[in-house]
This record gives sequence, structure tokens and C-alpha cells, in this order.
Amino acid sequence: MKEFLLPKENFRTVFVIGKGGVGKTTTSAALAVALAKKGYKTLIVSLDPAHNLGDVFMTKLSDKPKMLTENLYASELDMEKLIKSYLKHLENNLKNMYRYLTVINLEKYFEVLSFSPGIEEYATLEAVRNILLEGDQWDIIVFDTPPTGLTLRVLALPKISLIWADKLIEIRKKILERRRMVAKIQGDQKFVLEGQEFTLPKDEEEDPVMKELRKYREEVKFVEDVITDPEKTSVIAVMNPEMLPFYETQRAYESLKKFRVPFNMIVVNKVITVEREIPEIKVKLDAQEKVLGEIEREFRGIEIIEVPMFPQEPRGLEWLEKLGGMILEG
Amino acid sequence: MPKRILEDIHAFLRGFGGAFKHQSTEYIEFEARELENVFALVIMGSFVGIPSPPTTLVVRLMPHMVREMYVMQQRAVDMDDIFGEIAGMFDID
Repeated sequence: MKEFLLPKENFRTVFVIGKGGVGKTTTSAALAVALAKKGYKTLIVSLDPAHNLGDVFMTKLSDKPKMLTENLYASELDMEKLIKSYLKHLENNLKNMYRYLTVINLEKYFEVLSFSPGIEEYATLEAVRNILLEGDQWDIIVFDTPPTGLTLRVLALPKISLIWADKLIEIRKKILERRRMVAKIQGDQKFVLEGQEFTLPKDEEEDPVMKELRKYREEVKFVEDVITDPEKTSVIAVMNPEMLPFYETQRAYESLKKFRVPFNMIVVNKVITVEREIPEIKVKLDAQEKVLGEIEREFRGIEIIEVPMFPQEPRGLEWLEKLGGMILEG
Repeated sequence: MPKRILEDIHAFLRGFGGAFKHQSTEYIEFEARELENVFALVIMGSFVGIPSPPTTLVVRLMPHMVREMYVMQQRAVDMDDIFGEIAGMFDID
């Protein structure tokens, strides 16, 4: 049994990443089935907007966890709905603060915002955070992720957000410090805006900006703490024995290392094994051999598992359990 | 009559003290305003083409930033005579 797939403190989060079309969904589903079979209460969540987790299990899934067998629950996040509700939340927040803005038809603006760059990553991060917040309900949470690019950005986001929050907190501290100095001599500073008088906040506890910054930092720190803790998180990369997925896995490995997200295992999916020589696919087999050699060389110290190409697509619980057993036991 | 003189002296001293007080914090106030300006600029960086913090953070902070926006606006107005302000602060005529 692979130690890095079992829960140690409360729960274990497993991210299954990889290039599009290499078999991430099948691998993560198989893993979830095998873990559930071992008696761990497992939740598998698809973050991929393409949504084919339901197809693999041959059932319809929604954003609420659905029980499939004993100990196995699955859900598919509706990214479009998530982005909409995320924006709705922001919109309400803004409307409450700037009531006069309602005249200029804020809805139209927010409609366009849903296509603004980066919004998908933030919504995904928010979704991951919400699931992790309720992580104690499960022993293991398996995330079936969108193709590598987006996933890496989402996993990098907490760290980047933390840097931003820290920088802003630093400037804010300086501002408040100076306000306190002035207030010591001049008394509380007032600020008049459109006839209304405000007292400038000078302590960290009473400054709403500082409070918001600290709250945001705490929220992001929670996710960051979970995904960088080797006791809580593991990343499994899925790839095919071809050059392009290999390069992509290499890049993912490098950037995850930079963000200190533990990278534990590579599943090489769809490895073709033949008993006798077939000249028609010799070129393909040679290329596969070369890639497998490269993987061994490049990823020393990381568990590598080869999964053969099956005569039929592994769908349905029985097949998944067999495949999952292969991954789990090596 | 002596009471009025005393009051006058009192007012004079108060004004004198006030001026001193004002002068003593002038630089700090300038610095604080400038920091508020920078803070707002960083938050709203995307408007002027510099990378901005995560959208979530920006949207969450914005409602509390009336004062910063005011300072930033004022900065934009004073921009053409920023040296004038600094010269004034150092008593250069």
C-alpha cells in the first residue's frame, strides 16, 4: 500500500494532474474506488469543466456528493455555476457598499467579468477551499483536475496571494503607524467626504482594510497549509508513454517543486505490451521504450507505475476496482 | 480688562502651539498620504497597466478604500505641481 495515499492527520487530499486526454479521470476514479474498497470514506470531486467523471462511473453526478457504493462519494463541480455565484457574491458585496452604483446597471458589467482573465482559477480555488473546509467528513478526497496548465495555476495561487497579502499588510502597517504618530500630537484625524465626517482608523483592530487583509490572508493560508503539507496532500501525475506528456509532466514537476506541493507518483497510462513482434507498430513501441527510459532517469525517487493499455476502456465499478488495485498496490 | 488680555495671550499661545504641532507632523502626514496613494495605486494597478493583486482581494478591499481613492484623486490633481508642495514643505519660496 502506498503510504502517501493514506490519511495521516484527519484527511488526505490527492490531486490527479496531467495533460488532457491521458486518463486522469479514469485513474482518479479507479483510485477512489480502490481506496473506498479498503474502507476509507472517499470523496472524488471533478474540477474539470469537461466533466467526464460521471461517464466513467456511468451515472449522473451533480455538485452535491452522491453515494455510489459503500464509502464512495462522487461529485462534479459546475464551474460555470461556481463562477456565476462567485461573481454574484462579489456583486452583492459591492452593491451594499456603493448603493449609488445600482443606477448604472452593474449587472451588465458583471456579465462581462465572468470572461475576465483569471476568474476561473479564483473560482476553482474558492471551490477547493470550501471542500477542504469540510474535509473532516472524509478520510480521503481525490480531486480530478482540469488539464495541467489551469491546475498548476490554481495550486500556485495560494502562494502568490499570500505574497500579495503580506506586501499589502506591510504598506498598511506603515500607513497606520504614521496615522498613530500624527494622532498622538494632533488628536484623532477627521476626514470629510460629501458633508459626512469620518474618523480615520489608526489601530490595526479598527481598520476595516487591515481586518479584510488579515481575513483574506488567513483563508488563503489555510489552503496553502493543506496543499504544501506532505502529511495531507499528494499529487499524482498521469501521462502516456509519449514525448509530449513527458515534457508536460516534467514542467509540472518543476513548478510544483517551486510551490512546495508534494509530488509523489507518476502513473504511466496506456503502456502497450505485445507478446510477439508486430512490425507495423515497431516504431511506436521503440518510442514508448525510449520515453519509459527517460521517465526512470528523470524522476528518481518518485514512484512510477505502468498501467497497460486495456482491450476495452475501463468503465464501471468492476473495471475501476481492478485498475485502482494496480495503482494502489503497484 | 485683564481677563481679556489673559484670554488673548492664551489664544495666541494656542495658535503658536498649534502651528508648532502642525509643523511637527507635517512630514509624517505627507508620508502617510503618499503611502495611502501607493496603497490605492497597487490595488487598482490594472487601471494604469501594472500587475494587480488577486481580483478577489481587490474587490474585497475596495469598499473600505474611500479615503485612499480620495487621496489618489487629489494626487492626480496636484500632480502638475508636486515640486511646489515639496518646496512648500521645506519652506522654499
